[in-house]
Amino acid sequence: MSDAVTPAAPQRCVLRVRSNEPERGCIRLVLEAPDSWPAAAPGQFVMIHLSGTGVARHDPLLPRPMAAFRLTGEGSTEPDGTRCLEVLYKVVGRGTALLAECQPGDSLALVGPLGVPFPMPQPGEEAVLVGGGTGIASLFELARTLRDAGAPLRVLLGARSQDDLMALADFEALGVPLELATDDGSAGHHGLVTAPLEPWLGAGSPLRIYACGPTPMMVAVAELAEKAGHPCHLSLENRMACGFGICLGCAVRSRGDALHLVCRDGPVFDAKELDLGALP
Amino acid sequence: MSTTPDLSVEFAGIPLRNPVLTASGTFGYGVELEPFLDLRRLGGFVAKSLTLEPRHGNPPPRIAETPAGMLNAISLENVGVEAFIEEKLPAVPDGVPVIASVFGTEIELYAEVCKRLTGVPKVAGLEINASCPHVKAGGIEFGQSPDALGRLVRACRQATTLPLVVKLSPNVTSIAEMARVCEGEGASGIAAINTVQALEVDVETRRPMLSNGLGGLSGPAIRPVALRMVWQCAQAVSIPICGVGGISTGEDAVAFLLCGATAIQVGTASYLNPAAAGEVADGIAAYCERHGVASVRELIGALEHS
Ligand SMILES: Cc1cc2nc3c(=O)[nH]c(=O)nc-3n(C[C@H](O)[C@H](O)[C@H](O)COP(=O)(O)OP(=O)(O)OC[C@H]3O[C@@H](n4cnc5c(N)ncnc54)[C@H](O)[C@@H]3O)c2cc1C
Ligand SMILES: Cc1cc2nc3c(=O)[nH]c(=O)nc-3n(C[C@H](O)[C@H](O)[C@H](O)COP(=O)(O)O)c2cc1C
Ligand code: FES
Repeated sequence: MSDAVTPAAPQRCVLRVRSNEPERGCIRLVLEAPDSWPAAAPGQFVMIHLSGTGVARHDPLLPRPMAAFRLTGEGSTEPDGTRCLEVLYKVVGRGTALLAECQPGDSLALVGPLGVPFPMPQPGEEAVLVGGGTGIASLFELARTLRDAGAPLRVLLGARSQDDLMALADFEALGVPLELATDDGSAGHHGLVTAPLEPWLGAGSPLRIYACGPTPMMVAVAELAEKAGHPCHLSLENRMACGFGICLGCAVRSRGDALHLVCRDGPVFDAKELDLGALP
Repeated sequence: MSTTPDLSVEFAGIPLRNPVLTASGTFGYGVELEPFLDLRRLGGFVAKSLTLEPRHGNPPPRIAETPAGMLNAISLENVGVEAFIEEKLPAVPDGVPVIASVFGTEIELYAEVCKRLTGVPKVAGLEINASCPHVKAGGIEFGQSPDALGRLVRACRQATTLPLVVKLSPNVTSIAEMARVCEGEGASGIAAINTVQALEVDVETRRPMLSNGLGGLSGPAIRPVALRMVWQCAQAVSIPICGVGGISTGEDAVAFLLCGATAIQVGTASYLNPAAAGEVADGIAAYCERHGVASVRELIGALEHS
């Protein structure tokens, strides 16, 4: 399980919306993916632009980065076997509010899959996946891939409250060990994800930590992992304009004061490479 | 009956297969977009502006979205002229004219980079990015002072035998005056415009959206401003003009040709659609077919007005 999946070459493609329905904690966008649409490796993302119909749309101008949550139909979980790309998102601003208005039959322009995927654990390591907020979506393919390979893993998901826990049913259906934490105590541990995480880190067995979520959560997880001597990978959710390395808009600072592009050198980074204090 | 329209033009002495170039800073060093676009569909491309030494840009956030546009403050970030020549250029396919963009904080530094790029295979011409703050003059952009711009163009002209395009800053009172200065100092062509200086504010935090405070506005929002400036330059000088600003379709490009541009550049549009520049070229061809235009050169300066 030590090799990272080699990512497919990205494409630009117009995909038809099959459904776009609210559910617990998010909206599930289901897009019909032609056979030519490449499968994403765990941790990769797509850029979604609200103009697939051929009519130029200048506002909002830029596409939005979203994790490629999963591709259904290939292993066939969709009843009629259609290959579909699923994206789970929360409405946080104008772009996502307009995305929420998309109807079945509408088209969206996508570029992807993009970015460097999560590296797989080394033999003998247990994977610990820590997700918060919209970052939960970035971890699902990793969890599924590890489970399918029979690799040991645990998942820890955090949110403000029970109603904000996106993709909970999907993780439950995987049948992997799952812990929850909510700020208001409505599900799982009452408080931050770091509380249940801490005792695991000190248990002595080799772990590899994967985290995606709000910056304070990722910084806290990375600091605990470093103290306990476990490798830790963070998946960043920065603002982006292009998503494929040409605008230089998504740069973050490394510990060596160099700059990394989140879209091209990430979004997954070894936590040790990053200047955690300078994350946006 | 329709024949395929002739899209070829000559810009600043550089023969182009079609009038579509890509704008500096929006197309990387060329190869980044290869998965999406065959570069041979374009007239050529303008690479990210180069300084003598590699440079880092501003801290994040460096970009912000605005209505039909975006602000950026990337600043001087680039790999430096040596790495461009050694590492980036060899990857560019043959037969694609490369215009290298040059900038610096001092006139001498611009001239050094021009010298270094002269005679390098694949480099068909140079574009002087005059939107760089002139350190010795207290940070005013070279392109904002006729005197500084004149001295800059003169020094670069002496430093190279390559076609020399000067890319003008729109942050001036009279763009025509700046174009005349460039023509007077021997520039082979003008590119207009660079980004429009602008500011966006997050009212929740009461802070500018960019770490740098001010940024440069690009995208469809600036297209009418760019069109006006290209038209004014075309009235003022006889050297050819390359239109830049908010172009994302063939029709957008045709508007610039009608206002007097010989070639155009696609910028921000490539961020939302990495194949945009190729689609603009196809769109120009479709326009010509629709209007029975045999050669795209017939469109240059063909704006009808009373
Ligand atoms: C690699 C990657 C994967 C992502 N995956 C997902 C996903 O699977 N599901 C999902 O819901 N979201 C995901 N995001 C975040 C998503 O891109 C943003 O929420 C979205 O761009 C916001 O657009 P908007 O127009 O609605 O918000 P805006 O109007 O642009 O902003 C609204 C508010 O959200 C904040 N904001 C904007 N963009 C971001 C951002 N990128 N990160 C954090 N805060 C932001 C702004 O500061 C502002 O306060 C991902 C981001 C990246 C980089
Ligand atoms: C993120 C970004 C980086 C840019 N970098 C450069 C640059 O290095 N040199 C330059 O001459 N222009 C640069 N520009 C300006 C563009 O080349 C172009 O002049 C401007 O964006 C207007 O065209 P557009 O609206 O089509 O983008 C940059 C623009 C953007 C958005
Ligand atoms: S988003 Fe454009 S370089 Fe990363």
